[in-house]
Amino acid sequence: MKALLSATAFTALALSGTASFAETNLTYMMWGDPPEIAVWEAIVDEFEAANPDIKVKVEVSDWDSYWDKLRVTTVGGNPPDVFAMDAPLYPDWQSRGSLLDLSPYLAKAPETLDGVYPGPLAAYQLSAGTFGLPRDFQTIVLFYNKAMFDAAGVAYPDESWTLDDLRAAAKKLTIDKDGDGRTDQWGLGTELWDMEPMWGPVVYSYGGAPISEDFKKTTLGDAPAAEAWKFLADFRLNDGSVMSQEDLESYGNDGFLAGVAAMTFSGHWVVPAYSDLGFEWDVAPFPKGPAGRATLVNSAGIVVSASTPNPDAAWKFVQFVISEKGQSKLTELGFAIPVIDKVANSPVFLEQKARGNHQVFLDALAYAHTKPSFRGYEEWSAAVGDTLALVWNGEMSIEDALAEIVPNADAALANNQ
Amino acid sequence: MSQIGVSPRGAERFWVIVLLLPTLLGLALGAFGSIAATIGISLYQWDLLSPAKWVGFDNYLALPENRNFLKALGNTALFSAIYVPATLSISLIVAVLLNQRLRGVSLFRLIYFIPVVTSPTAVGLVWTWIYSKDKGVLNAIITGFGGDPVHWLGSDMALYSVVIVNVWGAIGEGMIIFLGGLQAIPRDVYEAATIDGANRFQQFLAVTVPMLLPSIFFQAVLSTIHAFQAFDYVYILTQTGNGGSSVPMLVFNIYREGFNYFRMGNASAQSVVLAVIVLGLTLVYSRLNKRWGQQG
Repeated sequence: MKALLSATAFTALALSGTASFAETNLTYMMWGDPPEIAVWEAIVDEFEAANPDIKVKVEVSDWDSYWDKLRVTTVGGNPPDVFAMDAPLYPDWQSRGSLLDLSPYLAKAPETLDGVYPGPLAAYQLSAGTFGLPRDFQTIVLFYNKAMFDAAGVAYPDESWTLDDLRAAAKKLTIDKDGDGRTDQWGLGTELWDMEPMWGPVVYSYGGAPISEDFKKTTLGDAPAAEAWKFLADFRLNDGSVMSQEDLESYGNDGFLAGVAAMTFSGHWVVPAYSDLGFEWDVAPFPKGPAGRATLVNSAGIVVSASTPNPDAAWKFVQFVISEKGQSKLTELGFAIPVIDKVANSPVFLEQKARGNHQVFLDALAYAHTKPSFRGYEEWSAAVGDTLALVWNGEMSIEDALAEIVPNADAALANNQ
Repeated sequence: MSQIGVSPRGAERFWVIVLLLPTLLGLALGAFGSIAATIGISLYQWDLLSPAKWVGFDNYLALPENRNFLKALGNTALFSAIYVPATLSISLIVAVLLNQRLRGVSLFRLIYFIPVVTSPTAVGLVWTWIYSKDKGVLNAIITGFGGDPVHWLGSDMALYSVVIVNVWGAIGEGMIIFLGGLQAIPRDVYEAATIDGANRFQQFLAVTVPMLLPSIFFQAVLSTIHAFQAFDYVYILTQTGNGGSSVPMLVFNIYREGFNYFRMGNASAQSVVLAVIVLGLTLVYSRLNKRWGQQG
């Protein structure tokens, strides 16, 4: 059987003529939207042109199925050679021995990291080694619908905005258009389950932090954060200006895109979809809190499976994705901020086809906190988010919720020690 | 119980075994194999990826302190305590009502059975809409009559709302079992009762229920198993961001512990506890059945 296979392979090679040596096949798996496939295939084409002996197959799934697929293939002993990683989940995957340490390759080719933003990079540099590299990153900013601001006679958000300005504007932008007692336009529509879009930045801008620096203790119930929670709960529950989870769900989980929310907090990933919107919009920095301005930065990474039979080829692909060429191509997608400063500060990013003031996303790095990333992140964030959801629904007071969240979240941390 | 069916002998017995072999093998490897594997894994600490570590009974000893497990166990127990009696009584009533010579009775039987064969995902989504707080059908009716909207899937009500959907989905199955049982009751018993002067309700209590006891016990066992394995409707109606659930059930918790948090040993220990609970309840039913079910 083996002989037959190699005979066939030999014939195929002989027939193709151009291939003078054996081809290496790689699989690259990532989460994403259908439009991303075309861009990644373009990246792969350029990579294959430079490395004719390597062929890369790109597989794209939506976020939920991606992680299921990755778990199943990894456990089944057949993981993709190269795959995408979310920085908060990276320590979990690394600690289970499923990722290849790239340090030896980086030692041989230190120029790979030239110009890579240190913040996103740091998330991948563990004491055990560097088991992945940031591929692109996201900062959270404020998106606003200019038409709605004009109609309500509210000044556009700018650098001077505080969280109180945000709340006051949101109230003015909340309108019951047909007078039936139901809100038809909300001031703010944003996700409140995960820390990334809103509650994380607000907690930081009040001088608090969700978790201790060594990731051993949940600190979101501590004193500075308490004021942030009070602000968030009052904002969500008393003003009627922030969309509820149910409102968001009935508008496809994006009230801004649906044209019913005047503002939202989000990252650059929504920009391609928002580029097609029929109204004018722009972005502004995250409003300042009592302890200054804050936001979150999170990166998507690229990692190599520990069990890949072709680590050298896989490394070459990773290197290409991080390179100026790969990053320029990736930037065309408009989904994220390139991880190399030279590309981020070039017209490729700043003057891309997609709408919006892209400089605001880049400037956000100066005041951004890195989204916490530690072993057990998924369990910890569920312990926090599931109970917070009760607060946002008005079913539990924030004080009661915090009293429940902190021990649950600490138990989740202990489970993953 | 008297012997039912034939007792094969000699060469026939050989062929019976040969013909049953595929099923028996499937059962041995599939069902008993996974039970054995689950018990085995529950004694290890294993994250699927790195080598498993022997921890003896640590996974079991940790369960009383596992907040998620306790919450899921409590939810499941309360769910079962409502679901089993509700399913039994409602499907029994429906079966009795549909066990008459009525025009279109098959149509009604069909209608009651439809939820059993409909995809839980599709039905779950329809119920999500029915229960929705601001745009739901149920609240539209309530506010139409001047009432206050109810947060059906909020934390206070969600468990009960979910039980209603599950009972609704299970009526058809119970109905079929009970209809079978009802049709096995000889007509002359009822005739005798009528002659003795028993009215319909007395007949139900004195004839129907005792003669149906074996079916009722059978259905009780099935409902209990279903209740402890409840997952689909519950998850669809109560899911939160990132794959959580506001009313976590045991099966959901086991899945999450194993496949999301990579704690297979822990998840297996919970599965074993779940199996032991169901087994215990089944034994109780079977005792009760032996005691009362054979007198009719």
